[in-house]
Amino acid sequence: MQLDWLTIAAQIANFLVLIWLLQRFLYTPITRAMAKREARIEERLADARKHRQEAEQEARTLRERQQELDARAEKVLADARREAEALKDRLEQDVRKEFDEKRSNWQEQLEEEKAELVRQLRKRMADQVVKVVRRTLSDFADTDLAAQVANEFARRLEALDAENKTRLSDAAARPGSTAVVESGIDLPSAARSRITRAIHDNLGADIEPDYRTDEDVVLGIRLTLGEEIVEWSAGSYLDKLDDLVRDTLDAAGRSDLTATT
Amino acid sequence: MEISPDQWIIYEWHGLRLNATIVFTWFVMAILVLGSWSITARLSEGETVSRWQVLLEVIVSGIRDQIADIGAGDPLRYLPFIGTLFLFIATSNILTVLPWYEPPTGSLSTTAALAICVLIAVPLFSITKRGLLAYLRSYAEPTFMMLPFNIIGELSRTLALAVRLYGNIMSGSIIVGILISIAPFFFPIIMQLLGLLTGLVQAYIFAVLAMVYIASASKTHRHGSKEAEAAGPSDEIQNPGE
Repeated sequence: MQLDWLTIAAQIANFLVLIWLLQRFLYTPITRAMAKREARIEERLADARKHRQEAEQEARTLRERQQELDARAEKVLADARREAEALKDRLEQDVRKEFDEKRSNWQEQLEEEKAELVRQLRKRMADQVVKVVRRTLSDFADTDLAAQVANEFARRLEALDAENKTRLSDAAARPGSTAVVESGIDLPSAARSRITRAIHDNLGADIEPDYRTDEDVVLGIRLTLGEEIVEWSAGSYLDKLDDLVRDTLDAAGRSDLTATT
Repeated sequence: MEISPDQWIIYEWHGLRLNATIVFTWFVMAILVLGSWSITARLSEGETVSRWQVLLEVIVSGIRDQIADIGAGDPLRYLPFIGTLFLFIATSNILTVLPWYEPPTGSLSTTAALAICVLIAVPLFSITKRGLLAYLRSYAEPTFMMLPFNIIGELSRTLALAVRLYGNIMSGSIIVGILISIAPFFFPIIMQLLGLLTGLVQAYIFAVLAMVYIASASKTHRHGSKEAEAAGPSDEIQNPGE
């Protein structure tokens, strides 16, 4: 075993050449290719990361927008519901008011009609009563009704107590006061003179009454002296009948009302 | 029986002898260079990579990672030198499967040449990295007293590097030769297989040791001593292979 220095030198040269050749043909291309591939992979990963971030960002934005829309929809819905509620209330109130108005109108009308009916009934009843009384009185007592009325009024005037008489005569004596006698039927002159005489006897000789006809008095006499009034009338009998009729009509109206509602 | 392929003269011209060591070295170089060139000429940088390119990438990145593990900074700086050491020794050892082939690493001239390359490369790398003064100062560490021992260590490890590789490969060839004459047919094949394994292990040991020497010389004193400690066990790894 011996060292061949020439061979050693040749081998060193060979080795250095091999290093150069492999550097040229192996290490540089391979490491460059690997580095490039790694760079590309890294680039793609970065790209993917970027895309992912973008996608997440977009998703977040969309989610926020969705929430915003939801909130807005909720608000719109709530507003609409509130408005609808308000509208409903208003309409209900309107309807109720209208209904109340109509009912009150109707009731007023009913009242009026009732009053009208009562008035007519009363008038007709009064007429009828007067007619019947007059015929009855004239048939059985041989006197006419006007005379009876006048007599009755005169008798009642006389029956007044002193205090009332004084008050009435004072009223008549007051300056500017007039004396008016109103009756439901037209009084004949005999009856008028009977009444005038009674006034002269009881209240004062200088009172000159003025005679008028008023249907409201019905069967009776009303004496107005200034501010004082003395009245006797068969109308008070009719009042009870009137009340009865009114009550009956009320009852009928109420049952009608409940039937309509 | 020829112990060294140095004595196998293939061609002689005016006193210049072309022995088998150099011829087979050229053969190994040709295989390495042509093989790499044929693959790297059609390199792909995309996703689809040819299997040969994958093989080369695995080898290169494996060597690179190994260098990085030893830790002397940028592995690409040492890759050509260490990688070529490994690839050359490994290829020349594996090719012993060819019947007419004599491995150049079985010649002491070749291993000495490689060891001399390492001997020169260690200070070169160290000086380019740390500067001449720092490199020279490292011989006088930890004390000036250690200067001769450091120099002796430098030389002896180069000698050990050369003789270790030579002894392993040469012995492999010689053992096969002896066994063929004693027990033909079967035993030599097993020994040949073991020789392949030994050849690869030796290639790895040679390259790693060279890198460890470079790394320990290229580092500062503190790290260098650590590296020397790390080199200790590596030195012992070789023992089973020897």
